[in-house]
Amino acid sequence: MKSASLSATLEQAVAGRSPWQDARVRFLRNKAAVVSLALLAIITLACIAGPWLLPNQFDSADWNAMSVPPTFAHWHLFGTDETGRDLFVRCLIGGRVSLMIGALATLTSVTLGIVWGAVAGFIGGRVDNAMMRFVDMMYAIPYLLIAILMVTLLGREFYLVVLTITVFSWMDMARVVRGQTLAIRSKEYVEAARAIGVPTRRIIVRHVVPNLLGIVAIYTTVTVPGVILTESVLSFLGLGVQEPMTSWGVLIQDGVGVMESAPWILLFPAALLSITLYCINFVGDGLRDALDPKDR
Amino acid sequence: MWSYTLRRVLLTLPTLLIVVTVCYLLLHATPGGPFDGERKVSAEVLANLQAKYHLGEPLWKQYLLYLDGLLHGDLGASFRYADWSVNELVLRALPVSLAIGGVSMALAIVIGVLLGVAAALRRNSIADYALMLVSNAGNAFPSFVIGPVLILVFAIALKWLPAGGWDDFDPRYMALPVALLVMINVATVGRVTRASLIEVMNTPYIRTARAKGLAMHTIVLRHALKPTLIPVVSVIGPLAIQSITAAVVTESVFSLPGIGKLIVNGAANRDYTLVLGLVVLVTVVAVLLNLLVDLAYAWLDPKIRY
Amino acid sequence: MKSFAALTPFKRTALAAASMTLAVGALSLPAVAAIVPQGVALAAKQELVRNNGSEVETLDPALVESVGAANLGRDLFEGLTVTNGDGAVTPGVAEKWEQKDPTTWIFHLRKNARWSNGQNVTASDFVYGCQRFIDPKLASPYGNVFGPFLLNGADIVAGKKPASALGVHAIDALTLEVRTAGPVPFLPELMSNPNLGPVHRATVEKYGRDWTKPGNLVSNGPFQLKDWQVNSKLVLAKNPNYWDKEHVQLTQVTYLPVEDENTDVKLFQSGDNDMTYQMPTGTYAKYRQQFPNDTRNSLILGTRYYSFNNRDPLLKDVRVRKALSMVIDRDLLAQRVTADGQTPMYGLMPKGVSGADVSNYEWASWPMDKRVAEAKKLLEQAGVKPGTKLRFAMNTSDYNKKMAIFAASEWKTKLGLATDIESMEFKVLLKKRHDGDYQIARNGWVADYNDATTFLQLVQCKSTQNDNFNCNPKADALIAQASETTDQAKRKQLLTEAAKLVMDDYPLLPLLQYGLPRLVKSYVGGYSLKNPMDHYGSKDLYIVKH
Repeated sequence: MKSASLSATLEQAVAGRSPWQDARVRFLRNKAAVVSLALLAIITLACIAGPWLLPNQFDSADWNAMSVPPTFAHWHLFGTDETGRDLFVRCLIGGRVSLMIGALATLTSVTLGIVWGAVAGFIGGRVDNAMMRFVDMMYAIPYLLIAILMVTLLGREFYLVVLTITVFSWMDMARVVRGQTLAIRSKEYVEAARAIGVPTRRIIVRHVVPNLLGIVAIYTTVTVPGVILTESVLSFLGLGVQEPMTSWGVLIQDGVGVMESAPWILLFPAALLSITLYCINFVGDGLRDALDPKDR
Repeated sequence: MWSYTLRRVLLTLPTLLIVVTVCYLLLHATPGGPFDGERKVSAEVLANLQAKYHLGEPLWKQYLLYLDGLLHGDLGASFRYADWSVNELVLRALPVSLAIGGVSMALAIVIGVLLGVAAALRRNSIADYALMLVSNAGNAFPSFVIGPVLILVFAIALKWLPAGGWDDFDPRYMALPVALLVMINVATVGRVTRASLIEVMNTPYIRTARAKGLAMHTIVLRHALKPTLIPVVSVIGPLAIQSITAAVVTESVFSLPGIGKLIVNGAANRDYTLVLGLVVLVTVVAVLLNLLVDLAYAWLDPKIRY
Repeated sequence: MKSFAALTPFKRTALAAASMTLAVGALSLPAVAAIVPQGVALAAKQELVRNNGSEVETLDPALVESVGAANLGRDLFEGLTVTNGDGAVTPGVAEKWEQKDPTTWIFHLRKNARWSNGQNVTASDFVYGCQRFIDPKLASPYGNVFGPFLLNGADIVAGKKPASALGVHAIDALTLEVRTAGPVPFLPELMSNPNLGPVHRATVEKYGRDWTKPGNLVSNGPFQLKDWQVNSKLVLAKNPNYWDKEHVQLTQVTYLPVEDENTDVKLFQSGDNDMTYQMPTGTYAKYRQQFPNDTRNSLILGTRYYSFNNRDPLLKDVRVRKALSMVIDRDLLAQRVTADGQTPMYGLMPKGVSGADVSNYEWASWPMDKRVAEAKKLLEQAGVKPGTKLRFAMNTSDYNKKMAIFAASEWKTKLGLATDIESMEFKVLLKKRHDGDYQIARNGWVADYNDATTFLQLVQCKSTQNDNFNCNPKADALIAQASETTDQAKRKQLLTEAAKLVMDDYPLLPLLQYGLPRLVKSYVGGYSLKNPMDHYGSKDLYIVKH
């Protein structure tokens, strides 16, 4: 009995932290990342719950209250836009759209990009060449054409916006991942692993993926702003969010035109967008730091 | 390596062919034609327009005619701009975009790498956060907000620079658009540099160098910089392509006669030949830049072999 | 420019004689080119920078289609007549003209009209220009707009007759005979269009498509082409061989192709631009306050309206269309929503158009409650229940969006109808309207010439400009009758009646008359606020000392 409890105690003392627990601790140490995550959570919550709690509707125009500066009257905390609609509610509704599109489009394009890039970089040779030449081709096709075509042939549903944005956003990730995979593949420990006959799948899971996480984390958070901004350009074309629905991109575009006469119409959505994007950046940096296997 | 380069250059041709074909099909599948205007033309006039530009003939025939012209270096006549050939339009727009895009990329690389290195070396300190705040500004605000703000400050309030336009590579007209593109590109370059350097600094051989007692700047410059730049270079490729061929917002806000605006207007006008001509140009630029990036990989990491 | 008193006696007499000749021959009396008012001091540097809204599609006057290209057409070329800043017809290359019979006009060209290369402008230049323009081989988009007014024009455009059959003949080097298909009372104004102007044959034959490039272009207007950098700028210099060059103040005009309205205004604010193309949506009130002396606004002959698809199952019933039209508060729309000086329209004809009177719907003067009650009744009778969805199509633009949101909210709050607003690219909208693939669509029309028939095209039975697919044969008959008559008063009465008849069918929903607010630096003189066609020729403008 004594030896059982002794070995149990010994085991406990030696029990290390799993890499994920390790990552969490490191992440929490990054103050900027933590604050950013909290802010993101607040903004997301506000966008989801806010419109239900506020008295103003996002699509009710009030022609007697056009372009009103921020005031406590009628809960117009952010003022109203040029058609008299409450800006606060519209910012939150717009946030729903931007965040959702941002999340979904990023998810799909990142997944596609990683798979494409890792396969190309790891297999190398002719396959790599062919796959990357395809990426080159994708860069060359003007996205405007594709966007218009997709709208007219397929329709205007939400998943189409996501699809259209994905089509233009996965190539950067593919290139970056492929470059990093190439570098990793030629590292000594990978060569060593192959020399001793470790199966390819194991190499990918144990060596390639962990070394990719950092750059993937970074580049994912680089993709999100691009995705959200691409969405506003698409709305401008007529694909994407249709009136009365809105997004941060659309709100900002409306605001730029009246920047000098009604600055709040630009300020609030732009502030929300930039805070969100800054936060995503810091969280991304934090994730990268946290997930780096060599960072002790 | 030379054979690799040669192979890549030769591959440009089939790439071009496929891209041109895809765009050609896309253009013709899009609703609305180049001569759909508010004032409808008579049937006879339409017939003549079709005849003049071969639009009435079967698609495959038009396609072959276009390819034939392409082989002779003739990109065709613009549908919208009746007085100019596509060759003339493209050759006038290219230098502008190259100048603006090229200069801003060069500056963005230098500034971005400096900011990223400085931030990485002071990791998790206030200096790090501050440097990243500055660097990421270009990624947190849409370009169509930053541009007008730059104009408001420098052209209207301070009256130091013109509010837009182009005057034969006069640096005063290049300053603000370059500034906008630099801000946008520095954001990505800076962050990737920072992340990459942090990773590199933790590798065994850098640790060895530090243990040896080498000065930090020697370590960074002589040992850490090259591997750090690998992901950075991956990123520069697409950024450069974007800055040169797709700087639509910059060109609209500052009224520059560049390629990006020309493509977007061409697509909106269904100016098939103009768009295809620009697509050819963009493809060539994209392929060449990507080739440079891949060659740079090999230079930076001697173990990467093609 | 010296004052009249300072001129030598000879010049004074010559000027006086010249103006008297003009008064005799021309059908109107106003001034030509930039007559600087007494006491106005001119700046030393007479150079203007103005924005044209986009890069022009061509400088070939026969192929001109856009507003910007027309501006350049009028600066570079001059037709038989010229419309001045107040919209009046004045002598151009022709110093006088008369109407021999209802369909024949004789124009007498002045002896000193020259091309920029010094050669004389002759009647055969006009014959060449007009025939070239009408010939379907050139495929000019305005061929079937102006062509049908001239004898055999319609047949030539349709390919049934050769271009040489056109009713434009040179009787001698300085006399031109123009024969029209029917009586065209506004023919002199029509001939002021660059499309119907002279073209220098030798240049076209020598250079082919490149004839419009700087260095090649030969023009006869107040300015000549100095430099053209596509998408960057287009520079004109004063034409030293222009017959009226004494009255042209500007020595250089630079046209910018800036499309982004905000950029346009920024360039204006920084001093790089003297005259904007338009103004960004929603900024009128602000800029009027910020730049009170620079804001110029005038109504032009144009109409903003919504097309109804008269074939659509929901809109087939005229009661539905009437109801939708009745409940829109156009006063609110003009004063608060667009708030840029435009005026409400309750009919087809805008104020100021010649050839027909403005006639409004009778309910236009009713209080809104009464209109809403009546509209609700109409909908009930037509069997349309609240909650029915309307489909609205427009091309993407902030301006259209604002108006559409207003219309949708009117239809919702007053009639309980929901509206699906679909915004799309311009070409896609054009196609939808043309194919009838819409229910309600945003539309607009600016006059091609100052006569009621340009607006009647929008509602005539087989007209290619009719996007509404409506047809009122009685109205068409009246219009046909009017085109035969030479009695101006009768013609006006017939056209007014035709317009009223058609509009009682509610084929479309008239909203506002176009106003074109611009920012024009206060030191730019000669900008008339009475210009119905928005034709601001650079020869009328000058720079005041500032």
